[in-house]
Amino acid sequence: MIQQHIFLFFISILFTVTVNSQAKEQDTIKNKEKYGLRIGVDLSKPINSFFQTETKGLELVSDVRVLRNYYAAVELGFLEKTTNEDYLNFTTKGSYIKAGFNYNAYENWIGMNNEIYVGLRYGLSFFNQTLNSYTPNVYGTYFIPETIEPNTEFKDLTAHWVEFVFGMKVETFNNLFIGASISFNNLISTTDPDNFKNLQIPGFNRVFLNNKGVGFNYTLSYLIPIIKKNK
Amino acid sequence: MKKYITIIIVSFLAILSCEKDDICIEATTPNLVIRFYNNDIQTDVKDVLLDSVWAIDKDRIEQYKSVSTDSIAIPLNLNENSTTYIIENNSIKDTLKFIYDRKDVFVSRSCGYKTIFENLQIESNSINWIKNININNAIIENDTAAHISIFH
Repeated sequence: MIQQHIFLFFISILFTVTVNSQAKEQDTIKNKEKYGLRIGVDLSKPINSFFQTETKGLELVSDVRVLRNYYAAVELGFLEKTTNEDYLNFTTKGSYIKAGFNYNAYENWIGMNNEIYVGLRYGLSFFNQTLNSYTPNVYGTYFIPETIEPNTEFKDLTAHWVEFVFGMKVETFNNLFIGASISFNNLISTTDPDNFKNLQIPGFNRVFLNNKGVGFNYTLSYLIPIIKKNK
Repeated sequence: MKKYITIIIVSFLAILSCEKDDICIEATTPNLVIRFYNNDIQTDVKDVLLDSVWAIDKDRIEQYKSVSTDSIAIPLNLNENSTTYIIENNSIKDTLKFIYDRKDVFVSRSCGYKTIFENLQIESNSINWIKNININNAIIENDTAAHISIFH
């Protein structure tokens, strides 16, 4: 019995030694990590445009790996969307830029390039709002209000905000990534039109009552490797 | 791991903190509020026995059929710049024409716009039971206080 144990002990030591030496060999070959520029497109926006005729949008995404776990990220996009509420109908049209960074919190196995990340963005949007029509809101039905179509265009509006991003990216084929993220937006300030309000901001999406918003994106992106660095 | 837990908690809080704005709870288009006073002692509120109140070409307002009250709140026509009302008290009719300017003011996403009325003027074609009229507030923005005092 004791002999058997001693035997197992030696065998296990031998095994660990051989396994270790194998791992070291692999390290020297495979442990280079790719650094480069990744560019892509948000797939959810064209799909939305296809299914909702009153929405048109596109978003290009890009990031650069700066440090091992840090990526500088930029998103550029435009949106044209008509929103229909109970007493209002308006069209928002404009473009936006978001810039910030992602921190990859996922520890990859050797040779993998996946990410589970958190990030921060600063967003800036330039847009127009067109109030297509509204019906004055009145309680009761004694006088029924007529719908008014002012078609007022409020031009040169701006908004800027901060986003907290949570998402993931998976390398499916070599250098081709599929990603999904959710963002929580906090409006810093916006130029509200006269006698109206920015209820929808390109890039920020629907503005809730307390100036907060939510965003989703589903991206397909390609990594252009520039350098390979050791871990 | 701790990092993830905090992230998840923050995310949920962020979602929950989005306030609902689908239901209109703010005040919208105000009514014209009229209060009735005693013509002899003009500081005293005096009840009126209303037979009915109606705008020309409209039905009688359900709320004010054969009631005794010291104040009424009646809607103004928000498609035109004037509304003519007939107020019948003890089978005596008086006609009042309210003339005003309309202004649409933005309220919120769910409420849309409300109409407020400015530069209120009154044309009275008949003086039967109404002895005197006073405009307290020519701007009708809300219906918390009386805009018009009627003395009878």
